[in-house]
Amino acid sequence: MMSKPPFSFLIPPRRFSLWLLVAIPALLFILAAGVALAQEPSVHPTFPLLDENGQNVLESGQPVSTMTSCGECHDTAYIESHSFHTAVGLNEFTQAGQAPTGRAWDTSPGLFGKWNPLTYRYLTPSGDDRLDLGTADWIRQFGARHVGGGPAVASRTGELLTALAVIENDPETHVLDPETGAAAPWDWQESGVVEMNCFLCHLANPNNEARIAELQAGRFQWANTATLLGAGIVEKVGNDWQWHEAAFTAEGELAAPFSAMQDPTNENCGQCHGLVHVEPDQPLATTGCQADQWSTETTGQIMSPQRLADSGMNLAGKQALSRAWDIHAERLVACVDCHFSLNNPIYYQESEETRPEHLKFDARRLDFSDYLLRPSHEFAKGQSAQGSLAPELKGSMRRCESCHSIEATHDWLPYKERHMDAISCESCHIPQMYAPARQMLDWTVLNPTGEPQVGCRGFAGEPGDFDRLITGYTPVLLSRRTIDGDATLAPHNLISAWFWVYGDPTRPVRLLDLQSAYFSDTGDYHPDVLAALDNNGNGELEETELRLDTPDKVEVIKSRLAALGLANPRITAEVQPYSINHNVTHGEWVTKDCQACHSQESRLTQPIMLASYLPGNVLPEFVIDTNTEVAGETYTTPQGELMYRPATTAKGLYILGHDRVAWVDWVGVLILLSTIGGIAVHAGLRFFVSLRLPQHEPELEQVYMYTTYERLWHWLQALAIMALIFTGLIIHRPDMFGQFSFAYAVQVHNILGFILLINALLAAFYHLASGEIRQYLPHPQGFFSQAITQTLYYTRGIFRGEAHPFQKNPQKKLNPLQQITYFGILNVLLPLQVISGMMIWGAQQWPQIANSLGGLPFLAPFHTLVAWLFASFLIMHIYLTTTGHTPLANIKAMIVGWDEVEVHGKA
Amino acid sequence: MKNFKYSWLVGVVVTLVILIAPILYFLPKNEAKADDPWAHVPQRLPHTDHSALLKGPFADGPAVTRACLECHEEAGQQMLQTAHWKWESEPVLLEGRAEPVALGKKNAINNFCIGIQSNWPPCTACHAGYGWVDETFDFTNETNIDCLVCHDTSGAYVKANGGYPAEGVDLLAVAQSVGSPTRDNCGGCHFRGGGGNAVKHGDLDESLYYPPDSVDVHMGQHNFVCTDCHQTEDHQIKGRAITVSLDDKNQVYCTDCHTEQLHDDERINAHVQTVACQTCHVPLGAVREATKMHWDWSTAGQDREEDPHEYLKIKGSFVYEKQFMPEYAWYNGTAGRYLMGDKIDPSRPTSLNTPHGAIEDETAKIWPFKIHRATQLYDTEYDYLLNPKTAGEGGYWTDFDWDQAARLGSAVVGLAYSGHYDFAPTEMYLPLTHMVAPAGQALQCVDCHSSAGRLDWAALGYEGDPINRGGRAQSQLLPADAAGEAN
Repeated sequence: MMSKPPFSFLIPPRRFSLWLLVAIPALLFILAAGVALAQEPSVHPTFPLLDENGQNVLESGQPVSTMTSCGECHDTAYIESHSFHTAVGLNEFTQAGQAPTGRAWDTSPGLFGKWNPLTYRYLTPSGDDRLDLGTADWIRQFGARHVGGGPAVASRTGELLTALAVIENDPETHVLDPETGAAAPWDWQESGVVEMNCFLCHLANPNNEARIAELQAGRFQWANTATLLGAGIVEKVGNDWQWHEAAFTAEGELAAPFSAMQDPTNENCGQCHGLVHVEPDQPLATTGCQADQWSTETTGQIMSPQRLADSGMNLAGKQALSRAWDIHAERLVACVDCHFSLNNPIYYQESEETRPEHLKFDARRLDFSDYLLRPSHEFAKGQSAQGSLAPELKGSMRRCESCHSIEATHDWLPYKERHMDAISCESCHIPQMYAPARQMLDWTVLNPTGEPQVGCRGFAGEPGDFDRLITGYTPVLLSRRTIDGDATLAPHNLISAWFWVYGDPTRPVRLLDLQSAYFSDTGDYHPDVLAALDNNGNGELEETELRLDTPDKVEVIKSRLAALGLANPRITAEVQPYSINHNVTHGEWVTKDCQACHSQESRLTQPIMLASYLPGNVLPEFVIDTNTEVAGETYTTPQGELMYRPATTAKGLYILGHDRVAWVDWVGVLILLSTIGGIAVHAGLRFFVSLRLPQHEPELEQVYMYTTYERLWHWLQALAIMALIFTGLIIHRPDMFGQFSFAYAVQVHNILGFILLINALLAAFYHLASGEIRQYLPHPQGFFSQAITQTLYYTRGIFRGEAHPFQKNPQKKLNPLQQITYFGILNVLLPLQVISGMMIWGAQQWPQIANSLGGLPFLAPFHTLVAWLFASFLIMHIYLTTTGHTPLANIKAMIVGWDEVEVHGKA
Repeated sequence: MKNFKYSWLVGVVVTLVILIAPILYFLPKNEAKADDPWAHVPQRLPHTDHSALLKGPFADGPAVTRACLECHEEAGQQMLQTAHWKWESEPVLLEGRAEPVALGKKNAINNFCIGIQSNWPPCTACHAGYGWVDETFDFTNETNIDCLVCHDTSGAYVKANGGYPAEGVDLLAVAQSVGSPTRDNCGGCHFRGGGGNAVKHGDLDESLYYPPDSVDVHMGQHNFVCTDCHQTEDHQIKGRAITVSLDDKNQVYCTDCHTEQLHDDERINAHVQTVACQTCHVPLGAVREATKMHWDWSTAGQDREEDPHEYLKIKGSFVYEKQFMPEYAWYNGTAGRYLMGDKIDPSRPTSLNTPHGAIEDETAKIWPFKIHRATQLYDTEYDYLLNPKTAGEGGYWTDFDWDQAARLGSAVVGLAYSGHYDFAPTEMYLPLTHMVAPAGQALQCVDCHSSAGRLDWAALGYEGDPINRGGRAQSQLLPADAAGEAN
C-alpha cells in the first residue's frame, strides 16, 4: 500500500538535516510573502501532493486528493470511516420519517438529513415530487460546515456519487432549478466530489473562505485545493488553479513549512463550530446571532480567553466583567483536550465498566506509529440536547467531575451530594451568557429580502442599532437525562421556530414556494399579501406588520400556498433546546447564593422568553429527539410574549424555600389560627368571669414536683422546638425573612434537630429507667370519665371558679387530658417529625431511603404539616400552663421545681 | 435517683453534651485563609495644627528649619543620615570591584539627564535641602534641611533651582500647614522624575494623585498614601530602586502585608516561587500617562519643530509610550551598576543597572521592567560614558556645543576627556512595582502560556513553556539543593 516505510520521519538525524536545508530557504520565502504559518517547527515531513490518480499535482495540474496524498502514510480510508464529522448521518440514513427526530421529512440524525429551521432548506427524501435540496445542492448549502467525505463522496446506498445512474427526479442526481422550480440533472463528473478535507483541521491557516466559495460554485473537486490558497502553495488565475513550484522541493514534495500539519487548534474547530478568538491584545467583537458562527448563534458561546471587560463589545456593566469568556480557553485547555480522538494513546482511558477490578491502570498503550497510521476520528462527545449524531459516542468525553475534584472545592456547599445529584456543574458555573443568541425564527412570513422574521435574545434596544447594549441572557435550566440515566438540571437556550408545512406525509414548504406565495414576479410583495398585512396602508410591510397575527392573515397565505398545489398548508412550530456546556466560569462568577434557587424567584423556575409574539397563534412543541425532559408550562404574557417556565416539582425535585404544597400551608395556618382563636375566646371568658366571681383562695401546699433533670430536659426541648419552628419558617419562606441567611438557617436547623433527637432519646431512657414513664400512661380504669371531668372543668368549671378536679402530685403530675396529649405528641408527632426531618437531612447520604418514602416532594410538605401541628400544640400548651391557681404558677414550677398545689382534703 | 445528691450536675453535663455534639458535627471543616493585609497598614498620626506654634515671620527656608528643630530636636540629625538628604548610599562592596562604593543621585550616571555633577541647580530643585548649587554644599548643616518639601500640606510650596523656595512662596503659611507627607509631597518629585510628569519611571506619574481603582488599587480603591507602604522610622523611608540603590535592604515588599499563598488556586500559588507578584498584578506600564521609552541625545541641537514628547533641541528625540507591555527578566533584588569611568563597548548597548538573577538563582523571580533605552555621549578614546555639563553657563543647553559640555562636565567629575566624543546606546532597567491593578485586571494564564504569550521562555532560560515542560524546580533548571528548597 505504501511506497516507503511509514513514519520514517521519526528517525531523525540524516533526514532532519536534509529537512533543515529545505526549510531555511522556504522559511525565507514565507517571511517575504508575509504569510503566517504555524509558529512551532513541525515534525511533519515533506510530502508530495497527489491527485486522485496518485500523480503529483505539479505534473498533472489536477486538484489535490487528500485521500491519496495523506493516504501515503495515514490510513485515510480508516479515518474517513471512523469520523462522524465526515459521515454527518450518512451511516445512520433512514427512510423519511424514521429518523429519531420524528419529523416526517427527516432522514438521519445528522447534518445530512436532519432539518433545522435555522437553515430551513431540507434534504429532499427520495421519491418526493417536489425537490428542495438534492445531494449536490446540500453540499453547496451545508458544505461550509462539512469537512467533506461521507455524503459529499458517496450516495445514500454507498456508491460513489460520480458513478450514479441518473434517475428521473432523484435527489442524488438532481438539483433544484430556481428558475423553473423543477429538478435539473447534476453532472457529478464535472463537479467532482468533496473528499475528506484534512487541511481544514490540520493546517494552521486553512483558507476556509476560498473552500466555501468553490463549494458554493459547485466546483467540488477544487474545494480542498482552495483550502491551500493564500499560503503560497497554489494560486487561482481565473477559474484555473496553478501550483507554485517554489513551495515544493526538488523532489516535488511540499516543502516545509508548508508541509507543517498540526493538531487541530481551537481556530480550526471554530471554523464550523462557533466564534473562536485567540489574540490577547485584540479586543473581541461580534454582533452575535450570525449564521456562520454556529454555537455562538445558537447559544451565545464564545471560545475566548479574553476578559469580557477587554472585549470590544457594548456589554452591559462591562467594566466590572473581569471574567474570561471561557475559563478553559483562558487556562489553555483546547477543544481537542476534551474532544480527543478516542484512540489517542495520550488521552485514552479504559472505561470503568470494562476495566477488570484488579487493575487500576492498564499501562499498555497504542503505539504512536499505530495511532498516526490509524487515528480514529471519532472524537469524544458530550451529551448535548441538540447533538443527536453518533449516539453511541454520547458521553465518551470526560465530564467536569472527571477532571475536577468536587470534594476539594465545594466544602462550603451544604448537601453537596444532593446538589451534585440534582444539578449539573454547568447550572452554577454557566450562570449567564454574555453574548446574544438566537431566540426565534418566524418562517411563516418573509421579509422584503426573502428572509424570515428572526429574534435574538440578549440585546436591549431596537434591532439594527449598531450601538445597542448587549445584555446577554440567563440560560433556562432543563432536566437533562444522561446516558447513565441520571437526570440533572443543566443550562440551555431555547430556539423556537414557526413554519409552513403541507401534505401527508408532511413536508416543510420549500423556500422557493414560500417566496412564490409572498412575492410576485417583480420581486415585490404580492398585492394580496400586501392587502392583508399592510395595516397602515403605506404600501410597505414594516417589521411589526410582518406577522400572521389574525386568522384572516393566515388564511390569505394559506390560500396562496394552496394555489401552488400544496395540499393542506398549515403552520407548525417547534422548540429546540441547545445545551450550553462551554463558557464556564469560576470563583466569584459562579452562582453561590443559596437563595438564587431556594427562594420564591428561584433560578430553577425562571422563565425564558420564546418569542415576543405568537406567529399564527400556534403554540410550539418541544422537539422529541433530545435528552431533555420538558416539564414546564408555555404561556403568553398580557403583552403577547410567549414564555416558557420550567417546573421543578414535576421533575421529582422539591426545592426548599421555593416549592410549597399550598393545601399543607392552608391547613396548617387554619389549625394554628383556630387554636389561637379558641384560646382567645377561652381566655376572654376566663377574664370576664374572674371579674364577677369572688377570688378563689385554694389551700396550697409546696411540693417538689419536677426534678432538675426533668426541668433541664423540658426547657432544652422547649427552646429547641421553638428555634426549630423559627428556622424552619426561614427555610420554608426565605423571601419573608430576607435578613436571615438561608444557609445559616439550614445549618442551625440541622443542629437543633439533632439536639432535639438526642435530648428526646435520653429523656425516653430516663423515663423508662426511672419508671416515670408511668406518668404518661393513662390508666384504663375510669380514664374516660376522668377525661370528661377534666374537659368539663376546662369548659365550665374554670369559669365558675371551681377547684381543679384532680390533685397534682409528683407521682401524678399529668391530668388525663395531658396524658393523652403528651402521649400523642411524644409518641406520634415527635417521632414523625424527627424521622421525616432525618430523612430530608439524609437525602444526600442515603437518597434511596428518602426516595422509598416518596422523596422530598412527599417528605418536605409532610414535615411542614407536622411543624404546623407542633406550633399549634406549643401555643395551646403555653396557654394551658396559665390555668393554674395563678397564671404563672405552673411555669414557675417548671423553672424552680417546687410547685404550689391545691390541697383537696388530706389524701 | 432522689438519693443522688449531684443529679443536677449530671443533668448539666448531659445537656452540654447534647448541645455540643451536633454543633461540632456540623461545624465547617475548612479553615479560612489567614490574610489580613490591613493589620499591616500603619495608623496615620492625628494632625497637629501648627498655626499657633509657628508665628514667623520667616526670612528664608533655613529660618523655618530652625523653628522646626526647636521642638523636633532629633529630626535634624536623623535627616542628615538619609538618602533623601545625602543622595548617596553607605559604601557597599559590589561584586567584581575591589573597593566599597558609595553611590546615589549625587554621583550616578543614568540615561535620562545623565548626571547631576556640574548641573546641580536645576537637579537639586528636588533635593530636600537648601542651596546645593555646587560641590561645596555643606551636608552637615542641619539648617540647610528643607522640612517643608515633605511636610507642607498647603500645596503652596514650590522649590526652585538649588532647592531654594521659589519666589513668592509664603513661608509662614506653608510652615503653619505642616503635617504628615501626602501624595503631593512625594509626587512633586517622584511623579516628575526625569524632569516632567511620567517621564522616568513608567509606574509613577501624576495620575496617582487621584487614581481610579483601575490605575492603582491601593491608592485608588483603598485610598493609600505613599507612606502607608513606604513606612518611615526616624526619617528613614523604606524602599529601594535599582536605578540608584546598591542593595535591597529596607525594601518594601508585597508580602509585608499580603501572605504569599493567598490565591484560591494552587496553581497560581505555585507561581509565587518563580514569579514576582508584580509580574501578574502590574500587567501594564504607564497606565494613564505616556512615559519616555527611548531618548536619543545624538539628534540634539537641530533647529526643527519641537514637541516635548518627540523632539527638543536641547535634548534630542524621544519615544513615549502609554500602556506598554513590560519586559521581563530574572531579578533577585539587586542589580549590576555602571560607575563613572567604567569601560563600555560602544557597539552594543551598555546596561547601566542589569538586574541580578537567572533561572538557576532560586532567590530570583521573573519581574516586569520598563527598560529605558538611550543613545548618550561617550569618549571614543577612553571608551567610557561622559557626564556632560548641560545646565547653566557654558552648558550644552545654552551653547549647543557637545565638546565644550563634555570638557566642562569631565573636569567636575574628575574624568579625563580625550576631546573625541560620539554617542553610544545604553539601557536602564526600571522595575515596575507601583500601579498595581485590581485583581480583575491581573494577567491570566494565556497571557504568558500560549503561542501569543508575552514571555520569551528561551530568553528566560527555560526549555520551553513550563506549562508543558515543567517549571525550573521540576526540570532541574535550579541547582539540586536549590530545587529541594524551592519545593
